[in-house]
Amino acid sequence: MAITDAGVMYGLLAVGAGLATGLAGIGAGVGEQGIGAAVVGVVAEEPGFLGKGLFLMLLPETLIIFGLAVSLILMFAWSPFAALL
Amino acid sequence: MPVLRLPKFGKPVKYAYITGRVRAMKTKLIPNEMYARMLNMDIPEIARYLEETQYKEEIDALAKDYSGAELIEHATFANLAKTYRKLLEVSIDEPQFLILEYLRRWDIWNIKTILRGKFYGASDSEIMKYIVPAGELDMEFLEGLAKKDSINDVIAAFEGTDFAEALSKYDGKFLASVENALDKLYYFRMERAVGGTLSVGGGLLLKYVRREIDIRNLITLFRMNKAGIEASIVQENLIPGGKLGEELSRMAGQPYADFVRGLEGYPFWSAISDVATADLDGVSRIEARLKAYLIRYAWSLSNYHPLSILPVLGYIVTKETEVANIRKIVRGKEAGLPNELIEEQMVVA
Repeated sequence: MAITDAGVMYGLLAVGAGLATGLAGIGAGVGEQGIGAAVVGVVAEEPGFLGKGLFLMLLPETLIIFGLAVSLILMFAWSPFAALL
Repeated sequence: MPVLRLPKFGKPVKYAYITGRVRAMKTKLIPNEMYARMLNMDIPEIARYLEETQYKEEIDALAKDYSGAELIEHATFANLAKTYRKLLEVSIDEPQFLILEYLRRWDIWNIKTILRGKFYGASDSEIMKYIVPAGELDMEFLEGLAKKDSINDVIAAFEGTDFAEALSKYDGKFLASVENALDKLYYFRMERAVGGTLSVGGGLLLKYVRREIDIRNLITLFRMNKAGIEASIVQENLIPGGKLGEELSRMAGQPYADFVRGLEGYPFWSAISDVATADLDGVSRIEARLKAYLIRYAWSLSNYHPLSILPVLGYIVTKETEVANIRKIVRGKEAGLPNELIEEQMVVA
């Protein structure tokens, strides 16, 4: 089936954009669970480690930014309604 | 038989908390350089230094009842038991199961201590000084054992447990056969409990424990071959289950020089190559080196498996060694031994 309807295309684009941010978020979460647990363990012994620990914990979070950037590009780079504006 | 079947996905995460925590706890251990300085202190100075470390709470609490070497001995053992119990309390699931299996060695230690105490007619308060309630048997139960009148009463208290068979080896004259049987029982139970699980963590624990058995057997071989004891008796004293079990068993009863030459090429050889000489006091130095090798082995393995039971094991053995070192220094000082002699006995990894 050939996709000819611009509305359907735009809908698929939105799904792609959602997947880009959503999967990046899940990945970051999987990465963070171990780091978070380890950081809590260390902070229980050394409260002074909290700052460094938080920084390490947030590192995987940066991956979401890539996902978000891809989503934004997908959503705003092309719009079937651009011609109408 | 407890069998752990945990999903593979997410398993290392179970270890993240406890490994993070023991790595932080490791930084609080006494650094190796301090031992040389402690050798030059007198006993009250050592007690004062220990007050600045993790032993503060115990030293403060016990200072009103004891002083000098006694205070340090009690405080170190109390701290050791507290630390090990803490490891059990802050871990869950598989790590907790494996830590408890490993810490059962303190049950063996406590039973041996009570048997020895009863054997030599020590009072129950005297015996309780050397009890480390870090395993499964709790303080109350052990106190009850220490209060029993004779060795046979102590042995009867274990009726129906795993220990009964090993304890039945007591012949009324010597404790050596019972102690040996208890050691074998400890490793047998661990193999039975952990070997039955399908977990990766359990496999790593056994990998370390097999090396530990080898090292313990090696120390036995060094002592007994040096004394020129018959092969069959030496073999009886070896603990089965080590990785090099067969090879080490073949070395039993060899003439000392041949035995030492035969060890070249084994992974632990580099740790002892310069002290494995023919002189008589060499054995204690070799023992210290082999124990240090075992600690290094645990930590180097844990570099390959950072989220596993191995860093916890590394911490457990390092902490045990630290307490043993402090006690050696304090005991040595009290007995007026020269520093060189104490230093030889100390395990510095």
